[in-house]
Amino acid sequence: MNTFIIAGRVLSQLKGDKRFLVLSIIAPLIIIYFLKLLFDTFPANPFVSYTSFTIPISAFIVHFLSFILCAILLVQERTRGTLERMMIGGFSKMSIIGGYTLGYFGLATVQAIAVLFESIWLFELDYETKTVVILFIVIWLLAIVSVMLGIFVSTFAKHEGHVFPFIPLIILPSVFLTGLIVDPAGLPKWAEIIGKCLPLHYAVNIIHEIIKPEYDVSATYADFGFLLGYVFALLFLASLTLKETE
Amino acid sequence: MNTVEIKNLSKKYGELSALKNVNLDVPEGTIYGLVGPNGAGKTTLIKALVGALKPTEGNTKVLGLDPLKDKWKLRRQIGYMPQSPALYDDISARDNIMFFGKAQNVPDLKKKTDDILSFAELTSRANDKVGTFSGGMKKRVSLCCALVHDPKILFLDEPTAAVDPHLKMQSWILFRQLAERGITIFVSTHLMDEALLCDKVTILRNGEILAVDTPQKILERGKTKMKILTNGEEKFSVIDSTPQSLASELKKFGLEKNVSSIELRSDNIEDIILAIVREKSKEEKQ
Repeated sequence: MNTFIIAGRVLSQLKGDKRFLVLSIIAPLIIIYFLKLLFDTFPANPFVSYTSFTIPISAFIVHFLSFILCAILLVQERTRGTLERMMIGGFSKMSIIGGYTLGYFGLATVQAIAVLFESIWLFELDYETKTVVILFIVIWLLAIVSVMLGIFVSTFAKHEGHVFPFIPLIILPSVFLTGLIVDPAGLPKWAEIIGKCLPLHYAVNIIHEIIKPEYDVSATYADFGFLLGYVFALLFLASLTLKETE
Repeated sequence: MNTVEIKNLSKKYGELSALKNVNLDVPEGTIYGLVGPNGAGKTTLIKALVGALKPTEGNTKVLGLDPLKDKWKLRRQIGYMPQSPALYDDISARDNIMFFGKAQNVPDLKKKTDDILSFAELTSRANDKVGTFSGGMKKRVSLCCALVHDPKILFLDEPTAAVDPHLKMQSWILFRQLAERGITIFVSTHLMDEALLCDKVTILRNGEILAVDTPQKILERGKTKMKILTNGEEKFSVIDSTPQSLASELKKFGLEKNVSSIELRSDNIEDIILAIVREKSKEEKQ
């Protein structure tokens, strides 16, 4: 019950914070438009399909923004004293984690839909409905993983500034090692292993499979399993690191 | 009956001792003041009592319950107002109060919220976002959040810090009204004059208790400085701050005709508490 109370409060807080809403919904759309401008400058090459980068990069933008915004909001709870007050006021740490996740489900859904449809429209991608639905599920699931990652990372931060060192630690390696830009099979073994530890790797694997003209859904099951595993593993870790007492 | 019992409580952060062997009993239905300068350990002690901090040593009982082991049972019966307002600026005062009320399953929460807003004279601003409130109003909303579930004991951490004198007095009138309803109030302050408004006071410094007494008894520890002008000559003496001491001192002079004026200046509560703190520091240096 307390989980829903916190989720309701997170939603009404998001509704009341116009800057946050603009940043989380409008900013990804603008960035994707910039991506379109960038791709338009590249000369046509019959061997390279730039559109195959579009959906993975859109997924990455959602991943990055969901992670950073959720982590900062939870750290704000700590610096403002409301996190401690919630715990003393009768909310358990599991209801706080659950409430935040549930509150962000809505935002993650809107982000995933907005980013996906803008990408399809701007880049004139011709995908079947089934493909679009699977792509939506992948981006949405990645957004949930990002929220969990944000909750987990926030437990190590005493103020907002502490969140930023995690960007080069977690987010930037995702750009280079997960298959977003280059095939990780061509990387040194150790770099490939690091890439496999990052959730974006599994989302990019699924997207690359699904956007093939002839794709096999069953080939994505393992990657979906890894993404789901991330959700539960991060949920477990966050519950261990979020302290109720000093 | 005591609502709070603290025995040999200590808290260390590495080498630093934030609380040193604190022993304290808080009687039911009183306003109990925890007075001391910044860094005295007041917040640490309150956090230990509300179960937000694990002590290094010692035992605490609040309403007969262990703040850590019985935290869920206890949290339904205590109210906590932290030093910072700890509110959500983007939602209204009413929504803030109802949010904390929902966690405690307060029956008829809407009516209860209206009543408490009226008690804190916030009805006209109930639906405004807390971000638009002054510091003093935020403190009152914070108090409402701590009160919404009718706690038996209220822990207030520096509730009147950075509040203007008028609002400070209004807040203390509210605290007294709550105490008259039977709620025990455990309040910390670094403002020495507020000690006079409590039923009992503990003076804390560097995590150590220096004195526990009623404000009247603490006032009596003060000295009265006398300056007597007789035949144009000034005579000074220092006596205890009691009427008996004054009478005894004046007998020396027999109240002769040529005693043209008697001037008295008694230590105020701030002077006395600072003297206690200074005395302890001197003892430690020796």
